[in-house]
Amino acid sequence: MKNIRNFCIIAHIDHGKSTLADRLIQACDAVGARDFRDQVLDDMDIERERGITIKSNSITLDYQAKDGERYQLNLIDTPGHVDFSHEVRRSLMACDGAIIIVDATQGVEAQTVANLYLAMEHELELLPIINKIDLPAADVERVREEIDADLGLDPFAAIAISAKNGVGVEEVLEGIVRQLPPPSGESKAPVKALVFDAQYDAYRGVVLSCRIRQGELRTAAKVRFMHTGREYEVHELGYNRLTRCKTDVLPCGAVGYIITGIKTIRDVSIGDTLTVVENPAKAPLPGYQPAKPVVFSSIYPMSTDEYPELTAALEKLALNDAALDYQKDSSAALGFGFRCGFLGLLHLDVVQERLKREFELSLVLSAPSVLYRVTLKNGTLVEIDNPANWPEPGDIDSVEEPYIKASILVPESHMGAAITLCRNHRAATIETNFLSKGRIDLVAEMPLAEVLFEFYDRLKSATRGYGSFDYEELDYRPGAIVKVDILVHHERVDALAFLAHADKARGRALHYSEQLAKNIPRHQFKIPVQGAIGGNIIARSTISAFRKDVTAKCYGGDVSRKRKLLEKQKKGKARMKLVGSVEIPQEAFVSVLRTDQQ
Amino acid sequence: MSAPAGLYIHIPFCSAVCPYCDFAVRVAAVPVRARFVKALVREIELWRNHWHFPIDTVYFGGGTPSLLSGGELSDILGAAMECLPVRAAPTIFFEANPEDVDETSLALWQRLAVSYLSLGVQSLVDAELRFLGRRHCAHEAVDALVSSMEAGFTTVSADIIFGLPGQTGATLAASLDRLMKIGPPHVSCYQLTLHEGTTFGRWHAHGKLTELPETVQARYFELVQERLAQAGYDAYEVSNFASAPGHRSAHNMKYWSHAPYLGLGPSSHSFDGRSRWWNESRLSAYEQALANGRPIAAAERLTDEQLALEALMLKLRTAEGIEFAEFYRRYGVDLAGINGALCALLAQEGLALIECGRMQLTRQGLAVADGIAARFALE
Repeated sequence: MKNIRNFCIIAHIDHGKSTLADRLIQACDAVGARDFRDQVLDDMDIERERGITIKSNSITLDYQAKDGERYQLNLIDTPGHVDFSHEVRRSLMACDGAIIIVDATQGVEAQTVANLYLAMEHELELLPIINKIDLPAADVERVREEIDADLGLDPFAAIAISAKNGVGVEEVLEGIVRQLPPPSGESKAPVKALVFDAQYDAYRGVVLSCRIRQGELRTAAKVRFMHTGREYEVHELGYNRLTRCKTDVLPCGAVGYIITGIKTIRDVSIGDTLTVVENPAKAPLPGYQPAKPVVFSSIYPMSTDEYPELTAALEKLALNDAALDYQKDSSAALGFGFRCGFLGLLHLDVVQERLKREFELSLVLSAPSVLYRVTLKNGTLVEIDNPANWPEPGDIDSVEEPYIKASILVPESHMGAAITLCRNHRAATIETNFLSKGRIDLVAEMPLAEVLFEFYDRLKSATRGYGSFDYEELDYRPGAIVKVDILVHHERVDALAFLAHADKARGRALHYSEQLAKNIPRHQFKIPVQGAIGGNIIARSTISAFRKDVTAKCYGGDVSRKRKLLEKQKKGKARMKLVGSVEIPQEAFVSVLRTDQQ
Repeated sequence: MSAPAGLYIHIPFCSAVCPYCDFAVRVAAVPVRARFVKALVREIELWRNHWHFPIDTVYFGGGTPSLLSGGELSDILGAAMECLPVRAAPTIFFEANPEDVDETSLALWQRLAVSYLSLGVQSLVDAELRFLGRRHCAHEAVDALVSSMEAGFTTVSADIIFGLPGQTGATLAASLDRLMKIGPPHVSCYQLTLHEGTTFGRWHAHGKLTELPETVQARYFELVQERLAQAGYDAYEVSNFASAPGHRSAHNMKYWSHAPYLGLGPSSHSFDGRSRWWNESRLSAYEQALANGRPIAAAERLTDEQLALEALMLKLRTAEGIEFAEFYRRYGVDLAGINGALCALLAQEGLALIECGRMQLTRQGLAVADGIAARFALE
């Protein structure tokens, strides 16, 4: 066990986590040059393209260290985004140490700090690394200062490398062996294996990734998930190298895979503890938290006849994404679709992208919403994420909305802009912590709903790209939330209704009505587009009437020509949604929801 | 099909081609015209025993039929009467340019038994006539109208084009007022369309000519409708106005009611109640094709739905409108039943009058008749 190192790499997006992982894998020769694809750990195309890692994964490397010993290095990949913090947690729970990468040109960012705290929570040993020293803008000394001041780590322990050029990779491997601790745990104790990931394999069913915390797990053992109580038999276990390498036993401290014949990923709860039925552990490992969606949106196919395809696509995605929650939903305007729950905005984005790209579906999404807690006058408490289920205003006693603790790192020069932005987004409290030279950590408590719409983009533009942002969920607090209906030609368009804070309702309603007015073609009659709270109109735009389109002549030959034009026009209309007597092109829905801003 | 058919004869020649015109016309010397007349007569003969709908209207259009000599015209008419089931004493329609109207020509057309003379007046403002590339001036047009009306045709009609770039409400009103004073029994008012492939179309594409803004078009449309209504004309179709029901264009109404029509000459369209076919539109292609049979360029057989769609768009343009029960009998579509909400909305928005099982577009509705036709569902 003393020759095992279980570790992960944590970094802000783009600081070079995947590149370093690739170099470590190459240096240990786990992957032959022929098989080597850059960024081996990122399986999915979108991860590859965006350079972010969404699903955890692990790989076992053999390293011949300078002390003459052979080491088994288990690199556990972690998602690099705030939305996936529960996945990060699970991955961290499988590790004993972590490499923390800081970009030599960018320095410490909000996410680096957030991840550092997470790692410290899990009592991981940390090995700081300064990457991208090959870049002309690299400022290693400044970054060392930040590592000291912002992260509180030993700046002189930080290894300066260029993962891209392979400079310093050997030192990193030595650092892992020397500075990160081996696993601990009792081999003879009843088995406790942490399930930190699961992936769906079309041939084998669900493949679990596990860290053996204590005991030894053998093939053919009967195992039980301690939280769910489900029992299975271990069909196969082994190590994740470039391919799965079967063994008979996973010893204490090991990280590997287990196949038990579970058919769908829904039957697995990640973070659960596996034990052996014969000689079970008394209690599961601590820290289990089921994933809970916090952002909700309805997804509809652009054309209603694509509903079966959307259904099939979501089923497929869900095979590999246990956090994706979806239920049948229907809208008078958009037909059948699904109400989906996501871990955050990026998760929503990724799912939407995958549906579009892998399944070639065109979609319309309703405005994202958070989960509100509504206390009714009769004393019952209901949780509502969908405007369609919002109670009558007269029945509502009070509403609570989720708050987050946002951490924003900005250069001092942009502090004012960032504070204004937070204020505009209803921040309840804003604390400023001065970090190393000219850098501020703004910690704001604000409603989650406020960061759903373009907050990050605005932060980037308000701080000229220097601001970085991360958040964690905090608690529920009272909020004056109202439901805003959108009416087109006096008809409610259910898919466009949204929940908003009373102070923001008018602005958003105005944005909706203006966008719709821009994107709905003129009709033969005037069309008012209104935003309303109950019977109260709070915003209005008007689409003027089309006044002249009739062609002058219509004789023999003109008849066919004109009919063909009409047929074309009617075909175009078939792709529109009829709300009352108004044809709304799908693009109008998309434009409103995509450019939604407060 | 019990409605009598119409015969259309296209004369593809003009003394000059107007810059807005997208009809199949060309300028040609006398021998070319003579050769064409021969070809046309041959086409008529090819239909002997093949067209069975009785014909009660014969329409000479173009182009400029008034360019043909009396002999040429009577050859054509004679062949038609001989080879086709033309009823005795059909109503003969004839298009002419004001500059071709004089005592001689009027006498000639009278001899040919033309009863409906349509004059290409276009405008009664000289600057507008020059812009349109016409070869007559306003007072010539007035003279032609007056002398035609005195010559004793049953109906004299004036064609007007409006919505010219740069036209003002005042010049349009001036043309109309002057025309109303003369009072031809029938008036057709067409809004100028910039067709691709015409001189105006090319100018438009190159940004040298712009269409009037839609709101101005709408205003002029309204102005035309209003002036003619004030003068006692009945707008029996979007662009056509008659001082009395007897002066309506019986031939053109066949196009709008799906009556059969046989079109001869280049580019002419024919319809038998179910299929539509059309001739080669270039004179040379037309003549060449005639060497091997009928000069038909293409044909289409309409589906029930296409027929219903055409009927819908054509009827909506007429004052008569759509009688739902009759529409159902003829096209099998319960228009009001399928489009209940739309009908209610059109009535509510003042675009249509719906009474006693009949829907008629209001003036405001007529201006957007194309868009309204596209809104109706047919199944």
